[in-house]
Amino acid sequence: MMFVLALRNIFRHRTRSLITLSTILFGCTALIFVGGFFDNVFWQMRTTMIQSQTGHLQVYKKGFLKNGKTDPYAYFIDDLPRVETLVKDIPEVDYVAGRIQFAGLLSTGETTVSFYGQGIDPAREKTIQSKDTLDLKKFYRRPDVGVPVVDQGEGLAVNDKNQVLIGRGLAETMEARPGMNVTLLTDTVDGSTNAMDMNTKGVFYTAVKSYDDIFLRVPLTTAQKLLNTGSVQSLVVFLHHTEDTAKVKEKIDAIILREHLDLEVKRWEDVTDFYHKTVLLFDTFHLIMRIVVSIVVILGVFNTMNMAMMERISEIGTLMAMGMKRKAILMLFMTEGFLLGTIGGVVGITIGSAIVHMIAMVGIMMPPAPGGTIVWLSEPSIVPSVLFSTVILCVFIGVIASFFPAYKASRLVITDALRYR
Amino acid sequence: MSLIQIKALNKSYFLNKNRMDILKGIDLTVEKGEFLAIAGPSGSGKTTLLNIIGAIDNPTSGQVFIDGREISALTSDELADMRAQKISFIFQNFNLLPVLTAVENVEFPLLLKTMPANERRQKALAALDSVGLSRFSRHKPMDLSGGQQQRVAIARAMVREPLFILADEPTANLDHKTGEEVIALMKQSSREKKITYIFSTHDQKVMDQADRVVRIWDGVITA
Repeated sequence: MMFVLALRNIFRHRTRSLITLSTILFGCTALIFVGGFFDNVFWQMRTTMIQSQTGHLQVYKKGFLKNGKTDPYAYFIDDLPRVETLVKDIPEVDYVAGRIQFAGLLSTGETTVSFYGQGIDPAREKTIQSKDTLDLKKFYRRPDVGVPVVDQGEGLAVNDKNQVLIGRGLAETMEARPGMNVTLLTDTVDGSTNAMDMNTKGVFYTAVKSYDDIFLRVPLTTAQKLLNTGSVQSLVVFLHHTEDTAKVKEKIDAIILREHLDLEVKRWEDVTDFYHKTVLLFDTFHLIMRIVVSIVVILGVFNTMNMAMMERISEIGTLMAMGMKRKAILMLFMTEGFLLGTIGGVVGITIGSAIVHMIAMVGIMMPPAPGGTIVWLSEPSIVPSVLFSTVILCVFIGVIASFFPAYKASRLVITDALRYR
Repeated sequence: MSLIQIKALNKSYFLNKNRMDILKGIDLTVEKGEFLAIAGPSGSGKTTLLNIIGAIDNPTSGQVFIDGREISALTSDELADMRAQKISFIFQNFNLLPVLTAVENVEFPLLLKTMPANERRQKALAALDSVGLSRFSRHKPMDLSGGQQQRVAIARAMVREPLFILADEPTANLDHKTGEEVIALMKQSSREKKITYIFSTHDQKVMDQADRVVRIWDGVITA
């Protein structure tokens, strides 16, 4: 009956309880929205990075990440077909694409600038045409969202040779446009200089402006010809599901060990420092927001519980006169706080999720992120861990906010309480 | 052994550093089954005396024995246990819990005793029946008249079969006729169930119903 008493006391003043529950609801909605918004940002960031740059996993010759920048051609993968087959046979792997990275000079005849180039497999690493991005909702629901977008011209095709796809910033510097002939000048793996006339097939952009300002892409076979090699520096591994990344890394590590291969494997998160820093920054924002929202809700619940306590002083005196102990009075009020927090939390996440879901259905158009190039559509997700932690937070707040009024109630002098009107 | 024995009881309060002596050298003995009135004007010390007998206030000096046990040395929890087991109260303002129904209010003190829920509910319904309110068992206090509320309060006081029931001006907030009915009900239960009642009043007609009247004036028993 104590539980019944606590529950009925909560709904004794319906308007006041509704206002308190509304405060909790508002707090829950804010936390669910911000949690979902950030989760969506993280999802878009990692999808973009995985699709446009890193893949889920990258396999290199041991030492490439440490020394490859100064001596990139010393780290070609030996016995490429065997390694490719071993990795491809892992069930979670969608496809594997070889890559070569190189640097050189790009010339239109009038202008010459330095560039970073990537030799990619056009059959595997596809692009999206910019006209397909006009409907942002459709675009952001594509499974391959995040792959480079071809702004002008067309993307690289399987049989392309001597065709180049130039990053938007680099193209603007060169005043290059589709159809224009350019020359790529670079060192071959054996140290001699090689030049190749290429045709600009298109101009592309990714979500990262700094990448688009210096990178160009050519078919892998063209890059191998340019560098005079038959191998690649990295195997980019794409999975069916991002969450399998750690599991597949373990499998590849096991293969490397078993087959005595001179290779190392990195996860996408091992090579995306920017992503980690962004997550850390946003997580800190989220924490600050949780603290602020918690304080607001604590004050709301405290106010309700304190008013409830003040109104019931005479009742508390009666309960104690009947023989209820002080700690039982404390528990009664804290049970009310607990119930208020629990009901508020459950109702809050239910209605809050519905509100956030509706916002996500409409979507929020966002300006380009710092260092980014494209507007993006935020569709806040409903994150189960955020819902769970929000309910726990509400329960915790209910208990914390009711402690002081409960303590005050339990310390009342019985005769004073009975006289109180 | 007397049910209640009070020896040289003094009670003082300090108000703005001024000492106020409320009870001065009270000696009183109450026997089992008595229907005792404590009479006196407002401010005479009736309520303070009842509070001390009810173990919800402490004496400044003197001794109070309840059922042979001296109460001034007991801790807060021991006093709560004593109240839960041996003492019931009826208040001037009824003091029912507004969120509970009549039967739940009557049942509430039994929560402080170990008792199966079914037995608890049966006892509460029987107590409510004994004050003639069985058909109002599901009513909340605000749906009952003042007289009915005080009857519920009497049922609540009786239900756990205490050693004695203290009633502080139980008829003060009732009209004359209802007040008489309430006193009659208390007296009837005292007679039938051998419950000891100690009640305060300044109403002569209520005093006339008592087996014994203790008169108190300015903190001193005068008769």
